[in-house]
Amino acid sequence: MKSREQEYKEIFIAEALEYFDALNRHISTLEKQPEDEQTLAEIFRLLHNLKANSKAIGYLQISDISHKLETAFSLIRSKELVFSDEVVTVLFDGIDMLGELIHNVDNPKFSEPDPILLRNLDIIVENLSESTIELAKVQKYNTSKNLSLSELVYIQIKKLDHMMNLVGELMIDRDRIISISRELGNDDLKSVSSHLYRITEDLQYSVMDARLVNIGSLFNKFPRIVRDIAAAENKEVNLSLSGQDIQIDRNILQIITDSLLHLVRNAITHGIEKPEEREKKGKKAAGELRLSAQSDRDNVLITLQDDGRGIDMKTVMKKAVERQLVAAEVAKDLADNEVLSFIFEPGFSTAKEITEFSGRGVGLDVVKNAIDSIGGRITVDSEKGKGTTFILQLPTSIAVKGALLFEVDNIYYAIPLIHTDQVVALDRDELHEVGDVIVANLKGETITVVYLNELLNAPEANMNLGDKTRLNGQVQNIIIVSYNNRKLGLIVDKLYRQQDIVVKPLSKPLQQIDIYGGVTLLGTGRVCLVLDVPAITRYFINMRQGRGDGKE
Amino acid sequence: MKRILIVDDSFYMRTMLKNMLSDAGYEIVGEAPNGQTALELAKETKPDLITLDVILPDNTGLDVLKGIRAEQPDQKVIIVSAVGQEVIVNEAMEYGAKSYIVKPFSEEKVLEVVSKVLSE
Repeated sequence: MKSREQEYKEIFIAEALEYFDALNRHISTLEKQPEDEQTLAEIFRLLHNLKANSKAIGYLQISDISHKLETAFSLIRSKELVFSDEVVTVLFDGIDMLGELIHNVDNPKFSEPDPILLRNLDIIVENLSESTIELAKVQKYNTSKNLSLSELVYIQIKKLDHMMNLVGELMIDRDRIISISRELGNDDLKSVSSHLYRITEDLQYSVMDARLVNIGSLFNKFPRIVRDIAAAENKEVNLSLSGQDIQIDRNILQIITDSLLHLVRNAITHGIEKPEEREKKGKKAAGELRLSAQSDRDNVLITLQDDGRGIDMKTVMKKAVERQLVAAEVAKDLADNEVLSFIFEPGFSTAKEITEFSGRGVGLDVVKNAIDSIGGRITVDSEKGKGTTFILQLPTSIAVKGALLFEVDNIYYAIPLIHTDQVVALDRDELHEVGDVIVANLKGETITVVYLNELLNAPEANMNLGDKTRLNGQVQNIIIVSYNNRKLGLIVDKLYRQQDIVVKPLSKPLQQIDIYGGVTLLGTGRVCLVLDVPAITRYFINMRQGRGDGKE
Repeated sequence: MKRILIVDDSFYMRTMLKNMLSDAGYEIVGEAPNGQTALELAKETKPDLITLDVILPDNTGLDVLKGIRAEQPDQKVIIVSAVGQEVIVNEAMEYGAKSYIVKPFSEEKVLEVVSKVLSE
């Protein structure tokens, strides 16, 4: 893990080497045009920055020599010192020495700067009145100087985004070539294409890797934030962090920043009780807030856990019924996790008060939308009096997703693996018509099942999601997806394979169809629609309510 | 969250300032490495506070300060300078800078000056 000190040091060295190169360039210009104001000003600025930066990081020799050189150049600027041959030599030597020192900040064997050179610099800077300046010949550190360039480059995120897009395009073409090579049965083409497969895979991971940053870069901001919020709320909170060295795509981290801040604020403002209240309940006066990250195959899990008052199921249920999110008679039979999922509904908030830090009209639905937008998922678990835990499951990369491919009515679809729980094959006799839907019983759990062909393709007036006779064949392939604690079974015609896909956004006229998260091209060249599980879950609920109540 | 614009030609200095300030809960709305960008970003982001290095590649910091104050007379600006720049700092204070920080700076000092100026 890269500590902040290490990061500072790398930045310092990279920038110092840039300055060193620029100084060499400018001083050569100055030798030809000794009066050039702009060049002098630039040299002065570079030395000035080098002095300040090296002093800040604690490389005092570099800062000392930069300071002396800066003084010399300001004297030249104010015409108190002439940029003559002897002076030029000393200044060149001084800049060379800076370079040596910068290159050797990590080298314990590197000796002190040459005292003769230091004295020469002092003579130039201080003993101006003496007409005869004796400048001793400085022995050069090394005659065969190595040219070395910085080990670090800075890249704008948008350049990395562009690279990632190109890699995506390349992967699509690659899959196409592999598929063609299979069709043609040409062994040479097959071997080239399998090599191409490995190379593009490597390339994909390299680009993804270049975009990764430590989660610590976000986590490390929280101690201070937590302190401030806790102080404002008169609460005591101990924050513990773990997993700061887990890596994640920089853009994903950017997108979840506000969400995580929101959850942390909520936990302190609404979750953790005031010290007196906690002591009455037999808890420690200071609340515990735990923020941790874990790596889980292709995902990163971020967990935020507090030991506060927890979420009151009864309040949530009451509110859900009030807001007509669920009928009262249904609500009382819901499992805890189903009740909790209501807190992610738009405009749902159980907090009674609005404080400086929490509840400025931003609800958990905004958090959920942000997580959905990057193909992640958020779940919550809470026990009254004991505390609340939020788990954010995030992809490590945005562009490439593991997906399950299937077919409905001769059209190819993909569904991201992050939302798929399992795949089952059930006999149609195991499916039951209940009210206006079909349900299946899976290991004691009743799951609503929807025939995708009916939902996607039937004209709205004629749609019937509870009619088993519309199913084709005896055995039904069902993909169980889950979103916000709701499970839904999707009946598909044919199941294919798991595959990494590159999701492309839909083009303009199709953007409105929000049940599709995008499209991808398969190796065969066929277009494949990517289903957006959150959207299709909502769509299904709307269709059902619309039909049930005659609304919409 | 108070919004701050950082103007400094050194990436190292900007990174340090950015980390110190954002750790303390401030939002960094932009970073400008030169005077031109500083003027553009000041206008575009209208921050609560600007930290301004006095020695910049294109304009001097003083010109930037004058430029910003001409467009946004109430803009709060803190001068960041190194030892030996007292003359410029004094002049900057006359042109309406609220306070100054001397490099190399400590985190405590930066936060103290920033929060003082922001609460004025």
